[in-house]
Amino acid sequence: MTPASPEIARRMRWVMLVLLLVFGGLVVRLWQLQVLRGDRYYHQTVENVVHERYLPSIRGRILDRSGVPLADNRPAFNIYATPRTFTPAVAAELRRLLGLSDEEMDKVAARVETGRKRATRHPVLVLEDQPRERAARIEQERFRLPDLEVRHEPYRYYPQGALAAHVLGYMSQMTADEVERLEGGAYEPDELVGRYGLESMWENYLRGKMGTERFAVDARGQRLDEATAAGLIQGDRIIEPVAGYSLVLTIDAGLQKLAEKAVAPFPAAAVAVIEVKSGRVLALVSKPSFDPNVMTGHLTRAEAKFLNDDPRKPFIDKTLRAQYPPGSTFKFITTIAALEDGLAQEEELVTCPGSYERSGTTFDCTASHGKLDLLAAIQHSCNIYFWTLAERIGIDRMAEVANEYGFGSRTGVGLNGDNPGRIPTRAWYEQHTRFKIGYTINSATGQGDVEVTVMQLAMAYAALANGGTLFVPQVVDRVVRADGGTVIPYDPQVKQRVTTPPEVVDLWRRGMWKAVNEVGGTGYGHATSAVVTIAGKTGTAQVKAKRSKKDEAQIRGWHPSADHAWFAGWAPAEDPTIAIVVLIEHGGSGGKVAGPVAKAILEGWWTKVRAPAP
Amino acid sequence: MTMFGSGGGFDLPRAQVGVSRWRRFRAGVDWPLVLAMVAIAAIGLLNLYSATHGTRHAGKFDQQVRWMFVGAIAFVVATVIDYRAIVRLAWFALAAAIVALIVVDVVGQGAKGSERWLYIGTLGGQPSELAKLAVILVLARLLHDTAGAKPSWQSLVPRIAALVVPVVLIAVQPDLGTASLLTLIMLTVGFLAMRDLWPMVYTLFVMVLAVPILYETMHDYQKQRVLAFLEPSADPNGSGWHTRQSIFAVGSGKVTGKGYMEGTQNQFDFLPEHWTDFPFSVWAEEWGFLGSLVLIVLFGFLIVWILNVAVNARDHAGAVLCTGIAAMTFWHVVVNVAMVLGMAPVVGVTLPFISYGGSSLLTFFLAMGMVASVSLRKHGY
Repeated sequence: MTPASPEIARRMRWVMLVLLLVFGGLVVRLWQLQVLRGDRYYHQTVENVVHERYLPSIRGRILDRSGVPLADNRPAFNIYATPRTFTPAVAAELRRLLGLSDEEMDKVAARVETGRKRATRHPVLVLEDQPRERAARIEQERFRLPDLEVRHEPYRYYPQGALAAHVLGYMSQMTADEVERLEGGAYEPDELVGRYGLESMWENYLRGKMGTERFAVDARGQRLDEATAAGLIQGDRIIEPVAGYSLVLTIDAGLQKLAEKAVAPFPAAAVAVIEVKSGRVLALVSKPSFDPNVMTGHLTRAEAKFLNDDPRKPFIDKTLRAQYPPGSTFKFITTIAALEDGLAQEEELVTCPGSYERSGTTFDCTASHGKLDLLAAIQHSCNIYFWTLAERIGIDRMAEVANEYGFGSRTGVGLNGDNPGRIPTRAWYEQHTRFKIGYTINSATGQGDVEVTVMQLAMAYAALANGGTLFVPQVVDRVVRADGGTVIPYDPQVKQRVTTPPEVVDLWRRGMWKAVNEVGGTGYGHATSAVVTIAGKTGTAQVKAKRSKKDEAQIRGWHPSADHAWFAGWAPAEDPTIAIVVLIEHGGSGGKVAGPVAKAILEGWWTKVRAPAP
Repeated sequence: MTMFGSGGGFDLPRAQVGVSRWRRFRAGVDWPLVLAMVAIAAIGLLNLYSATHGTRHAGKFDQQVRWMFVGAIAFVVATVIDYRAIVRLAWFALAAAIVALIVVDVVGQGAKGSERWLYIGTLGGQPSELAKLAVILVLARLLHDTAGAKPSWQSLVPRIAALVVPVVLIAVQPDLGTASLLTLIMLTVGFLAMRDLWPMVYTLFVMVLAVPILYETMHDYQKQRVLAFLEPSADPNGSGWHTRQSIFAVGSGKVTGKGYMEGTQNQFDFLPEHWTDFPFSVWAEEWGFLGSLVLIVLFGFLIVWILNVAVNARDHAGAVLCTGIAAMTFWHVVVNVAMVLGMAPVVGVTLPFISYGGSSLLTFFLAMGMVASVSLRKHGY
């Protein structure tokens, strides 16, 4: 066979064909990559080189009404790691260097993994708010561990600790789910977001706008020099962050402290103090509470478990989220309904034999009060008097008045649940069961299926005190800039005006005065004050749902089957300026337990917090 | 047409007897081959400068220039020497290559755990590169010896076995890229030069059986590269990294490229070691589709031209020699470019005249010299 034989020539043609096809294939592939998909890959290579880093904005502060900071920022050391280079060896070294606990290591590993799924070259926050020594140790080892980075960034803190924790809320890192959802919304996955209370609801005001720094890196993530970077980056290199707006609250830190101190002896309690003429909230307490400093990035698993397992539910705001039977504090609804409709007279006497029987059920009064008129019935909180009235009024009319005073609908404060509560009507019962007269009787004294929030009750009492204006509770007085200039001032907002005639309200107010200031009143001796005249109504609400003995044993002094102790009132009695509602959860007698707390808070306001009136 | 040349040395076209030797030599030199080769080598240098300037690898450019000189001399020498003399020494060349490979397997210094390098003093080389030439020479010799007559199995089997030895030695380094390349060269030459294609079919069958065994001998990183090729998205930052970044680089060049020395993938090191295995990606990023096309066309022309020389060779030895060299060039280009374009796993196969490295350059210069030698002596009447 010679080179020129026909057989070889034939095979040569095959070889040429294969060569053509193969080179043609390469050219087609080049066409696909460079011509068809060129733009996409071009952007990819720009992304390879040009990196972005966010510049945190300074979150707005939260100040009390006189400028005392309740939520502030301080510089903190945050440690960042780059997922791509975060090998087990680096992890072990980090652990050794800082002496990290298992739990901290788990957190670090979880965050690196979350980051790895997004961009392996993008540093992720692995340890926030670290002590100076730890930061220094990382800095010292930066040549050995070049991909661990310490950044000095503003960090949220709450100088007053747990004070007003439910109002303020706290911050925490976004969940993987949120990262995905908010990524388009200019959020960085490492950012903390407001999680509760004002921090959550006013997030958009507080947060400000983060800035961006764009820089160029080589394949190892090392920054390129300025001149090279300038040639690669189009547009702005640095977009400065914009600081968030601050909130000035209506809350008075001094009064808040006082109120929290007043309920300190009780395992679970709630207090709302309202400025009567504006609906501004001066203090709002929910106990048990949490320390937002701990919640913001320092919550250990043990602490989280402890808080979550607490049967008193520390994360439920007891002023807005939890709803309770209001007990006798609700009797003003019955009174007003009866008087408005002409179904009761101030002088009418009713005999209280101590118990009341209707359709085979016996309802017990607190005592055998004998013959009493309406004022005395309020003073002594005689159930039978109001049951008698209730039967005349009917459940639907009572519900109507209750709705007028804001029960059964949200207060509009826009915080922590703001539950509407429940005001049952005949129709409501028909829907669920068969209506019985017993339901009307229960409703008249704030029992049975009536449930209200502490805030609702406080706003209703404020309306009684101010002559009929039901305000929307106001917590934020104004939004201000970092330099203090007002951005948005908020005026008191009226939810609705009640149409109760003044003389009707006046009668109820006289009854409240007697309850506290006259011998035999349910609050007499407990809430009677020499500092300022207090008017109030007590309530001792029976608890429907009996809880297990196990819960009872868990918290000292907490008896989940005991009555709720209420006190709702205001001061000064003659010309009210502030209204107060105190609830001691399972505290027992309203007068004995809640009364002194309300008295302590009101007296404190007049003697310590507010300069005594001239 | 004589089957075997009448003697060694200069065996110039008779038509030009009487003209001075130099002018006859100049007239006989295969200028298209030389021009294509010089063009590609020039692109290679240009590209290497862009790939290494301003880095700690900048010295590689000077080193490559030195190798180019050495290569050019090797080319001239190989052109001047009658290829038939070299073909006669084929078995010695193969023996030397085998010895070098064994030495490398035993004492060689590895890159990434593969023993490929042999150092004589400070001069390092990869015997596997030169072994390719030895194998091609032996093929030329073998097919020349057996041409015309039907060879006996007894004489053929030991010789074919001798050819398998370097493949196995290279495979166990393990340098699977070169080993498979060598196999592909042999199969191509066999297809073009053998009278009967059945032995090829048997060989292919045996090779398919050997694939799992070879896979077992590979290093983990090599296995990962194969797996990464089969499923590049599984671990984009691990084994698929090279391929992904290479595709980005090539694609980002778009039609006209980012401009010389402006390729960000190249300049900022997104392609590790791009001067050896990924120079095409540097070229494609900076010169775009048009530049890539120019280079592909140049290689295509070179290979077709070598095959043309093969067809016109005066004897079987020359034809087989050129066919082998064309096959070597072809497979190097195809495997390397396919790898750069994400169509083949990442294997250490160089791009002729473009990749940095003395062994590869020298091998190809020598090979082209031999082709020129065949071309020079094509008129055998």
